[in-house]
Amino acid sequence: MVMELARPRPIWQIMFSTHHTDVGLLYLITSLAFMFMGGALALSIRAELFFPGAQIIGDAMTFNRIFTVHGTTLIFLFILPFASAVGNYFVPIMVRYKDMAYPKLNAIAFWMIPPAGALIWLGFADFTWYATPPYSVISAPGPAADMWIFGLKILGVSSILGAINFIVTILKCKHPDMPISKVPLLAWSFLSSSLIVLVALPTFAAALLMLLTDRLGASGFFNPAVGGDPIAYAHLFWFTFHPEVYVLVIPAIGMMYEIIPRFSRKPIFSASSGIAAFVLLSIVGFASWAHHMYATGMSFTEKTVFMVGTLAAVPASAMHVFNFLATMWGGRIRFSTPMLWAVGGIALFFSAGAGGVVNSAMPLDFVTHDSYWVVGHFHLFVMGTILFGSVGYLYYMFPYVTGRMYNERLGNIHFVLSFVGTVMVFFTQHVLGLFGMPRRVYDYPPIPEWIAMNQIASVGAMIIGVSMVIFLANMLHSTARGRPADMDDPWGLGAKYYYPYERKNPQH
Amino acid sequence: MSGHSNFPEWVYIGVVVALLCWVGAEAWNVERIVEHIPEDAELIKVTGQQWFWTFEHEDGTKRIGELRVEAGKAYRFEITSKDVIHSFNIHDYVVLLDAVPGRVNTVWFAPMEAGEHDIQCREYCGLIHYNMRGKLIVEEAA
Amino acid sequence: MTPRATPLAILALVLSIPALPALAATEPGEYLDRRAEIWNLFFRMMTVAFTIGTVVSGTIVWLCLRFRESNPKAAPTRYEEAGEW
Repeated sequence: MVMELARPRPIWQIMFSTHHTDVGLLYLITSLAFMFMGGALALSIRAELFFPGAQIIGDAMTFNRIFTVHGTTLIFLFILPFASAVGNYFVPIMVRYKDMAYPKLNAIAFWMIPPAGALIWLGFADFTWYATPPYSVISAPGPAADMWIFGLKILGVSSILGAINFIVTILKCKHPDMPISKVPLLAWSFLSSSLIVLVALPTFAAALLMLLTDRLGASGFFNPAVGGDPIAYAHLFWFTFHPEVYVLVIPAIGMMYEIIPRFSRKPIFSASSGIAAFVLLSIVGFASWAHHMYATGMSFTEKTVFMVGTLAAVPASAMHVFNFLATMWGGRIRFSTPMLWAVGGIALFFSAGAGGVVNSAMPLDFVTHDSYWVVGHFHLFVMGTILFGSVGYLYYMFPYVTGRMYNERLGNIHFVLSFVGTVMVFFTQHVLGLFGMPRRVYDYPPIPEWIAMNQIASVGAMIIGVSMVIFLANMLHSTARGRPADMDDPWGLGAKYYYPYERKNPQH
Repeated sequence: MSGHSNFPEWVYIGVVVALLCWVGAEAWNVERIVEHIPEDAELIKVTGQQWFWTFEHEDGTKRIGELRVEAGKAYRFEITSKDVIHSFNIHDYVVLLDAVPGRVNTVWFAPMEAGEHDIQCREYCGLIHYNMRGKLIVEEAA
Repeated sequence: MTPRATPLAILALVLSIPALPALAATEPGEYLDRRAEIWNLFFRMMTVAFTIGTVVSGTIVWLCLRFRESNPKAAPTRYEEAGEW
């Protein structure tokens, strides 16, 4: 419930609650905890790669396990639950309903995440977040691999339940006076990403089961030794996870759509074009999955089809950028912490998108594929755009959740350090990829350019690490002892804080 | 939604689409040229396995971890794998293709001048993926 | 597509057609250098990408400087009076 910490309750009241803000708070805290855990793994990877040779991680197997759990954690246990946290807090309020459509289902969807996280972390599998067969079938050590498969299975069910809940809440429970075109863009972003989840995820759920029976030796779907085809897994996997990329990015864009008009003191330039871009992206996003697979030996025709499909998704993203910039144009912008993060996110969004166009241009894929370019590219998306939008929104919702104000100066420092660090790590990694360094390597030959660029990236990662410590300190201190926020207008913008901020959802 | 004109946005979308058409056309064209395998390219069978590369020439010579070719000739690689997926990569010559068990993938190149280049595995394949390396040695034409 | 964008798209297509060389001359002994082809494409695209990147980030920086509330020219937007946006 809102302003939790101003009026403490026993923890079990929150844990066993089905109220949307309580479930939202659980999502929020869980996702942030996993963000720090996954981030710590990232720092150990960067520390290991600072010099060629073994540094702090004893052996290659441990390293492989670390990057696998790093990726799995940050995608499935940070970004997705964080989006659900925001959705839980704000979607019911935005559609003016008392709660989520199915409160118990909502709580169940959340409570699937801790056991799944435990399976992933206690197993510590090593076959990358992509679990590529036949390696994952014939070579990956169990029980870690099996625990990972079960963990992902549970997370998949949780995502589907959450998606159903958002779709029903938005479409069926919105206030009768409110036409769907007047639903705020953040809620629209949850609607479109939930629809993508519903269409895309069952494919991977099936692939996971097939992978498991393959591992048990009961079947041979992906095992060439018994006539299976590993490329089939690649298709099933990417059919889910290319659209899933949009599931990750669309809510973050929705969050920027809340922040940018607010701090520009103007309405969104064109809400209808934002909605159109969300819907377009969630349809076109299904036409591009095999651009991850050019190097598996696809024919020229297949590659052409998927290149066109990929390029077709670009205008929708470009429309969002236009919308953001046009909203800022002619405004009177206050650069409070949330706005800094949102604008930084837009700036990096362009670079990430441009890198993606390069990857999908067929022959260039043979330069970039599975090199550090790709690592830089998708981290620029997940960190530069998604995390920036999410963290910005976290600062934005902070007064709403806690009734207190975060420390503005520490928030600014967090942004500046993170932005500098992100540019240092991920732009450098693009260039490193052009020099040919493969990804997922524990060690590399002492080529001077590789060493130099790895060191720049590692220093950048440490800067991000420092900024995240500042962030943690700011959050903990401000939650407990922060100055009480002016709940009418926490940033002094001259307008009401966007949402009803009473202790309870006023519709309840 | 507030009485503004959408015209600039349409122009912007038009520019974006035009640029993407250009990117697509250029990429399509270069790929078409690069994929065309010369008739007289010599066959080399490349086999990846955990964690080394085997190269088998047409005359039956087999080498492990070392690929010897002559400058000025074209070579066609038929790439496959014995266990898990690897990715055959000579970065200096922009040669990259996955080695997939049960499939044969084909890519070609023509080295221009003598020299030594690294061969590496670009797809995660397990414990010693990071050191699944080889040498390409381009010799002067005989 | 709008009247102005259509000719642009057509122009882009038409301009790229003369750039199609006859299928890379494959006289025996003369081979195409895939390094050159692919890296040329890469640098052509980087030229365009960096140009656009400069325009986009230049616009963002200019917007931030011009429309920040501490800019001497900053004026209240017309939505501020109502206090609703």
